[in-house]
Amino acid sequence: MMQFFDLANAWMLLPASLAAILLTLLLVWAAKIPLIYNLRNLQLRYRTTLLTAVAFTMVIGVLTFMMGFINGLRVLTQSSGIPENVIVLSQGSTDEGISTLAYEDMSDIAQLPQVTRQGDEPLCSREAYMVINQPIDDPQPGRPKRRLLQVRGLDDPVVSANVHGFELLPGSNWFSEAGVRANIDTDKPPMVEVVLGEGIARELGADRSPIEMSSSKDKASLSPGDIIQLESRTLVVAGILKTEGTTFDSEVWAKRSVIGPIFGKNNYTTLVLKTQSKESAMELESFLTGKDPDNKYEKARVNAFTEPNFFKSLGQTNLQLLIGTIFVAIIMAFGGVMGVMNTMFAAISQRMKDIGVLRLLGYGGWQILISFLFESMLIALFGGLLGCAIGFLSNGISMTSVVSSGPGAKAVVFRIVVDAGVLGIGLALSLMMGFFGGLLPAQSAIRLKPLDSLRG
Amino acid sequence: MRFLNLIFRNLRRNVLRSLLTSTGVMVLVFVITLIWSILGFLDRATSEKSSNFKGIVTEKWSIPSQMPFAYARTLENGASREDGDVRPEDSMTWQFFIGTIDKNVVGFNSFVFAFCMEPRKLLTMMDELDSLPPGPKAELEKVVETMEKNKQGVIIGQKRLDALNKRVGDKITIFGQNYRDIDLEVEIVGTFPIGRYDNNSCINREYLNASLDAFKARTGKPHRLAEKTLNLVWVRVPDREAFDQLGTQINSSPFFAAPAVKIETASSGVANFLAGYKDLLTIFRWVLAPSILITLAVVISNAISISVRERRKEMAVLKVLGFRPNQILGLVMGEALLLGGIAGAISSIATYYFVNKVLGGIPFPIAFFSSFPVEDGALWWGAAIGLVTAFVGSIIPALSTRSIKIVDVFSKVA
Repeated sequence: MMQFFDLANAWMLLPASLAAILLTLLLVWAAKIPLIYNLRNLQLRYRTTLLTAVAFTMVIGVLTFMMGFINGLRVLTQSSGIPENVIVLSQGSTDEGISTLAYEDMSDIAQLPQVTRQGDEPLCSREAYMVINQPIDDPQPGRPKRRLLQVRGLDDPVVSANVHGFELLPGSNWFSEAGVRANIDTDKPPMVEVVLGEGIARELGADRSPIEMSSSKDKASLSPGDIIQLESRTLVVAGILKTEGTTFDSEVWAKRSVIGPIFGKNNYTTLVLKTQSKESAMELESFLTGKDPDNKYEKARVNAFTEPNFFKSLGQTNLQLLIGTIFVAIIMAFGGVMGVMNTMFAAISQRMKDIGVLRLLGYGGWQILISFLFESMLIALFGGLLGCAIGFLSNGISMTSVVSSGPGAKAVVFRIVVDAGVLGIGLALSLMMGFFGGLLPAQSAIRLKPLDSLRG
Repeated sequence: MRFLNLIFRNLRRNVLRSLLTSTGVMVLVFVITLIWSILGFLDRATSEKSSNFKGIVTEKWSIPSQMPFAYARTLENGASREDGDVRPEDSMTWQFFIGTIDKNVVGFNSFVFAFCMEPRKLLTMMDELDSLPPGPKAELEKVVETMEKNKQGVIIGQKRLDALNKRVGDKITIFGQNYRDIDLEVEIVGTFPIGRYDNNSCINREYLNASLDAFKARTGKPHRLAEKTLNLVWVRVPDREAFDQLGTQINSSPFFAAPAVKIETASSGVANFLAGYKDLLTIFRWVLAPSILITLAVVISNAISISVRERRKEMAVLKVLGFRPNQILGLVMGEALLLGGIAGAISSIATYYFVNKVLGGIPFPIAFFSSFPVEDGALWWGAAIGLVTAFVGSIIPALSTRSIKIVDVFSKVA
């Protein structure tokens, strides 16, 4: 069932659709009905042909756009995890926001043999993840009035970046050991140094006033040295992380000992461990969660996931959206099928004499059926391709949404991905609509008796 | 009347086309009704009321909000310190308990999400439950009374009960997921009325707090969440002025230092949660819904165009008989409007009754809403959508009938 809803396998629909098109052409060739006959008929009834194709274009265009949105979320959650990493949360927690880890438990777990070492130290990232309610005063037109800002407090940003496999964009720096720098206004508390994901840097950059925008180095995004006001505290951008295409794209990183107390989060929420291999990570996950009763970690009770498993679980929202979109697509497609049926029934009633002549010339029922099916599928193909092309225009557009695994959620910035799978779904649905929309009318055509047809 | 009769007869002449077109209209109106109902519900939930204000008190910065339960009493009094201070008309505390009835398998069929609260507040503070019709209200009152007598009583929504494969009267243990080592042994004493709370549960807050005390007595140390058990407090005030004063009282109270708290209107709080879904909802509102309306207009337009083309001769005859161009235009548009209006009305009215009475709402989990009712407005939306799209879709084919020239039509016949 889950596989049915996995967009990763949808690319197969593209060659399947192309095969269906080839098969149809083959059948038309075998039926020996000249293609020009069908094309001229479509041309003659160009208004109806166009209107029917427009309905297909609308349905497929919207479907491609929606699927691209969901696919973007899928790509985001699937490309966020490193197979060698294990995320440790407190027992029962599936979301970082409600996890609480004790420092002594983290220290003990970090010493486990599966964890890679860098010199004498285990390669792990101790983190405090928090979601901050950020009100936006005087938002720019079309911009939100508030945002759920994801902040990750870290002890050592260089080690954490190493664990997560990120690096800074040119011209960026990590936050300092102190995590703060002096405020220009000496009466105010020091500014908190932060490092931003590329996506959130763009989002926050779009909230700047026209005056701030005109004086900034980068119009599209915040850049090092820019200031963010968060209620009474001032944050200064130290650097931008190269995080495009991952959930970390939406995060703000800062010194845990500085940012935690400001927002009332004094505890750690997450421990990320780097292991030697994917197999080691799976073994460590199993050991920490006690999947094997004879070989389990007993000093503390925690929840652990390999990173791909953790981010896959965040894709639950995608599944709900995907099911909803498929439902809407089926209903819309049904409406489109009614439209093409109208067109084809009308085409048949207008060409009853043609059908009679063809039958008298020796064409069999199946040949007539193929001829009319070909017409409806040609309309569907034309409308569907146009819909796919329109949907493809949305490819790469930056969006915000939420990914969740149940309680708790992550607000994410991502890009719409209209790939071969999405186009395959659009094309396949379009051809199916054309096929089912043309089948009944074509069947009614072959039931006509030649002489009755000629009498009209 | 004769004109209407003519329109009816024309529609009956090609029953298949009328059926196909009206089916197309019905399914598309069905989708529009669902989308507009979800958007309408969320719009209402995020738009400010002019009276009967509900305020939500939460931790100022962090999400999820986790305040000490000691805040509850002061917040329920609106942090009032002097005689002239505003006191809420009513209030309600929220503590969220997430658990499973199967310790080994945490999944859809074992998952329980419960609000721990004072049971009586279900009747006065909970959205929709505070305005139930007399029958369901009396049933809920009985359940609330049972919960007050039996602190271990729990209400579980019907869909969740089905998923858990339990029924009213069963005794279950809910193993805490967010409250580690807190396992609640409860008795199912009732369900919520079908609708919004089908997947939720309600536990008496006294039982959760007593369990946390028992944990401390058993282990000698407080539970790690002991000082973070209060998630939200709702307060009700009569108007905006009282709400603003209450905000000042709470913001200036020295009692709420660590963590700091904030009060916002319920609409603002909901909007906060929905901020992350802004783009998705924008797509629903400005891409999906308009596309369906355009498709609808195109489907109708196609059907009417075909019909007009097939009946050029008939229209020429009507002109010979003395029908004026505007009358023929009216005839064609009347057919489209009648078809669109009736099909649209049937679809949205059927959707309203089927979704609300049979399904118990539109199952579309978003933020903390698990399902949405079809709006009362849907009872007239369908007809309106059908009429408007039929008008837009048929206007061009109908106008083309005005230009039919009798001589041209009959010269072809000859």
